Amino acid sequence: MSGNGRRPAAAPAVNRPASPSPRRGGTSRWRGEFPYHWDADDVVARRELLGLAVLASGALFAGTAVLAAMGRLRERRRGSARPVARLADVPEGRAYYFNYPGEDDQAVLLHLPGGRFVAYSQKCTHLSCAVYFQEEHNRLFCPCHDGVFNPQTGEAVAGPPQRPLPRIALRREGDTLIALEETP
Amino acid sequence: MSRPVRDRPRVNPEAPDNRADVLGAREPLPGRQALLLAALLIGLVLMGLQLWLLTVALDMYLAGEGESLWLLALVSGLVFAGGLLAWRRSA
Repeated sequence: MSGNGRRPAAAPAVNRPASPSPRRGGTSRWRGEFPYHWDADDVVARRELLGLAVLASGALFAGTAVLAAMGRLRERRRGSARPVARLADVPEGRAYYFNYPGEDDQAVLLHLPGGRFVAYSQKCTHLSCAVYFQEEHNRLFCPCHDGVFNPQTGEAVAGPPQRPLPRIALRREGDTLIALEETP
Repeated sequence: MSRPVRDRPRVNPEAPDNRADVLGAREPLPGRQALLLAALLIGLVLMGLQLWLLTVALDMYLAGEGESLWLLALVSGLVFAGGLLAWRRSA
């Protein structure tokens, strides 16, 4: 941009780029490197557009391929057998909170009516907030976005979550409940 | 559709008009305009398909159903390979 407000003279045609000669007596160097006239500077060559589209397509493919590779490598089952609670700790219709499979992984054990025990990860399948059991409504509830899960099955029944809670397999040994593994 | 560049009012009427030099080799022949537009639309639809495949793959991965993700990656890869082929042929 010139300081006196005058516009530069005509630029050379695109098929005949100017030689990078000095300003005086020849064409400016920037015109040789950018030979588009400003009446046509919004022109994008089809090949350039196609190149950008192919680049975006490659990025989308790479993302899908990475997910596929990670899906192959990831362990579906997590955790090992570990006692989590005594039967007397969880009265019927109540919940018991524990950590499984890791020390930082929160989980909930439910004593359902009829004497059945089920356990789920507390990590909401929407955005990983901790769900908790609402006894008065008999539901697993995520307070972040009002997600609701069925305590019998762990299925999402309301709110934004689409997938069920990861389930923790249990085994009863005497008066102790053993967590075996967590499956998505 | 916007008007072709050569039909638009000029930004700088004082400057010499060399738009024909710039545009001459770029604008398609009259009969090819529709063909190029169709190709562009097909390309956009295929890229939309790839984006959808990526979201489905992410959902399946988070749900722990990683075994069948390779099929989605294969379809996405075929679309990418087709685009790459078209790009190389346009050279």
